[in-house]
Formats: sequence, C-alpha cells, structure tokens
Amino acid sequence: MAPKFQIKVFQLSRFVKNFTIISIVSLSFLLVFFSKSDLYLINGIKIISSSVIIPITRVISAPVNAFSNFVDEYNQFKSLKFENKILQEEIIRLKKWQTLAIQNSRENKVLKKLLNATDNNLTLVKTASLINRNDSIYSKLINLNAGYEDKIKKNMSAINERGLVGKVIDTTSNNSRVILLTDPNLSISVKSISDGIFSLLTGNGDGKYLVSSFIKENKLPRLGDIVVTSGTAQIFPVDLLVGKVTKVEKNRFFVLPFVDFKNIDYVQIVTSK
Amino acid sequence: MEFSKFFNSSIKLNIILIISFSISVNSLILLPNINNAFYLLFHLTFIYLIFYHYHYYLYLVALLYGILFDILLFNNIGAHLLTFLFLLILFILLRKFLIKLTSYQTIFVYFITLIILLIIEQFLANLIHNYKFNIISIFNFILISFIIFIPTVFLLTKLDK
Repeated sequence: MAPKFQIKVFQLSRFVKNFTIISIVSLSFLLVFFSKSDLYLINGIKIISSSVIIPITRVISAPVNAFSNFVDEYNQFKSLKFENKILQEEIIRLKKWQTLAIQNSRENKVLKKLLNATDNNLTLVKTASLINRNDSIYSKLINLNAGYEDKIKKNMSAINERGLVGKVIDTTSNNSRVILLTDPNLSISVKSISDGIFSLLTGNGDGKYLVSSFIKENKLPRLGDIVVTSGTAQIFPVDLLVGKVTKVEKNRFFVLPFVDFKNIDYVQIVTSK
Repeated sequence: MEFSKFFNSSIKLNIILIISFSISVNSLILLPNINNAFYLLFHLTFIYLIFYHYHYYLYLVALLYGILFDILLFNNIGAHLLTFLFLLILFILLRKFLIKLTSYQTIFVYFITLIILLIIEQFLANLIHNYKFNIISIFNFILISFIIFIPTVFLLTKLDK
C-alpha cells in the first residue's frame, strides 16, 4: 500500500509545480498587458514598490551611498582653493548686479501696479526633498518624500529655482514619483520666448538634451532662444522656464534644460491657480 | 566559517541578489558605473542560480524581481519580467544540452547568456516602454561585464564551493 501512496504524492506535487509555473507565466503576461492601465492591482504594486521596497533598498545600499558621498566630499575638498578664488570674483560681480536688480525690482513693482497685473499664476502645493533616484539605467525618475497626504496629485508640475523639473506620475500617502524632463516618455508643450513658436519636446535619451518631436507650422526657433511651457496641454502651468535652444537641425531642434538634474535636492510641487 | 555553516549556497546567492538589486535601483550620480556593475552582478547571479541551483521557486524570484525592476526602472511592467521568464523557459528547453558542456564551454555560454539578456532587455524596453535602443549603453554593459565577469564567477563558485 505504501509505494502506491508515494507515487500519488509525487504525481500531485509535479502537477502542482507545473500548474504554478503556468500560472506565473500567465500572470506575468497579464501584468505586462495591463501594466499601462489604471488597474487596482497595478496601482497596488506601484504603491508597495515606492512605499515599502524603496526604503528597504535604501537601507541595504546605505554603505554604497555613504561611499559615493565620501567621493563627492573628497572632490569638493580638492577643488576648494580654486573654487574660493572664483567665488570671491563672483561676489564682486554679484554686488554690482544686486544694485541693478534692486533698481529693476522697484521699477517692476511700479509698472505692475500701473498695468494692474498679477504676480504669477502658480500655487505652491508642497516643497519636497528627494529620497532616491532611478535615473542611471533606462528611465529618468526621482522619488520625493511627500505624497497625497500633502495634497500632491498626479500630473502636478515639479519645479526648482532654475525651472521645470518634471511631472508627478504616482503618489502614495507619503511618497511621490516624478518623471524628469529628460525622460523620452515625457512630452511637454513649449513656446519660444522671442518668436512664440509652439512645439513639443521630449527627452533625447541621453539624459542631457530635449529634442523637438513636433513643431507647429514647421517654424524653427533661433539658436540661443529661451523656451518656456506654453500651457496649451493644460498639464504644466504657463511660462515655466524649460531651457535654451542649443542646436537647430533641418526638421528639429535641441534644448538644454536650465535645471541641473544631477544636483536636485529639493523640488516644489506646483499647480496653476 | 560561521556564515558558511549557517547559510546554504542558495541562500547566499539570494542575499547577493537582494544586495545587487538594492544598489542597482538607487542611482549614484557620481558613480553611475557602480549601479551598472551591480545591475550586471544581479543578472550574473540570477543566471548562475538557474544554471547550478535550478528550482521551481526561481519562477517566483523571476516574477518578484522582474516586476520590481520594471516598476522602479520603467514605472511599467514588461522588459525585465519577460526576460527573466524567457531565460527560465529557455533553460528548461536546453537543459539536456547544457549538462553535456565542459566547464570552459559553460563559462562561455554563461557570458553569452548575460549579453543576450541585456540585448533582449534593451529591445523590449524599446518595444514596450519606448526607450531608445542605446548601443552606447550596451557597449558600456559589455565592457563592465568583461571587467567583472571573472571576479564574479570566482566569488560565486567560492560561495557555492
């Protein structure tokens, strides 16, 4: 009786194993198929990955991060003398500019009063700091330490003192993910300041430049022209600084963003008023 | 010695998977090649696990890391998950041939598998997630693979005894 029982158990376990494999493969294909949809399961996986997995990976990779910080500090220390000289020269230059700026600011206030103009069209939702970044392999994403409990919602814009940083694509209670301008999957509608030429920009894939994917009426902007958000797509507020046109080709142009994406510590999440 | 007594080879290799995964998804701005090296270490360890410690639980490992890599690196599920499962299925189909290989041939197949995996990932990233097929990135990965391959194999075989 005993051997028969053993054979049955063996067959059952093999059946269970095969069934499990087929289930996993099928589940994988379903996940891939529905990954771009807004399914509860997909959102759940994204929430778990950003609120549970990211903190765990940060703890595990802490020694490597510490080493990276040490290398950074060593490099800074090495160039301290040289930087000091440059900064002293810059202080003298900035003092001259400051006097001019104060004059211009007063003049600006008076002119705005005369025109009855409003200051800007932005509402600050939250200033958040960066907790980790996933921008060295494939995509250009950063994670912030503020989520929907801080009233951050999907599609809000992320900016810093230099200009547009990106767009919020996912939020959990205390975290949110921002896709950077340099990601090839983010399109922004922009206009050039001098000519008002409307176009769409996407990341070039190199993590440095933005490239035009569509130009309205095929008019190309001039080299050195500044581009700002046009506000036509209703996603980004109007007139946020994006970058400068650095290369113009036959059917497209390249823009160098003002934001230094390697040095982002804090971003402001804003929305249109 | 204590470490060796406490953990068997499979657990040690899984610990390497966890560490290499964690480091590869936390981008280091100044040292991006460290991220790339640990990304490759993850792939090498996963292939090693399949070649020498094949077990049904590896499907769950592939599912878990495939989803996590895809969510953290693409924000969508696709390239890594399909590649890891493809590797497992391919191994089952070719297992009879792989067993017959000599140690040098196995090492060669091991390296080629890594490169093929990386190319498939790039191809799927282009197909599913709209990321450009980046030749420079592939060459960078191949170059780092050349540097870390022998030390990694040495480390893994040492851990595995």
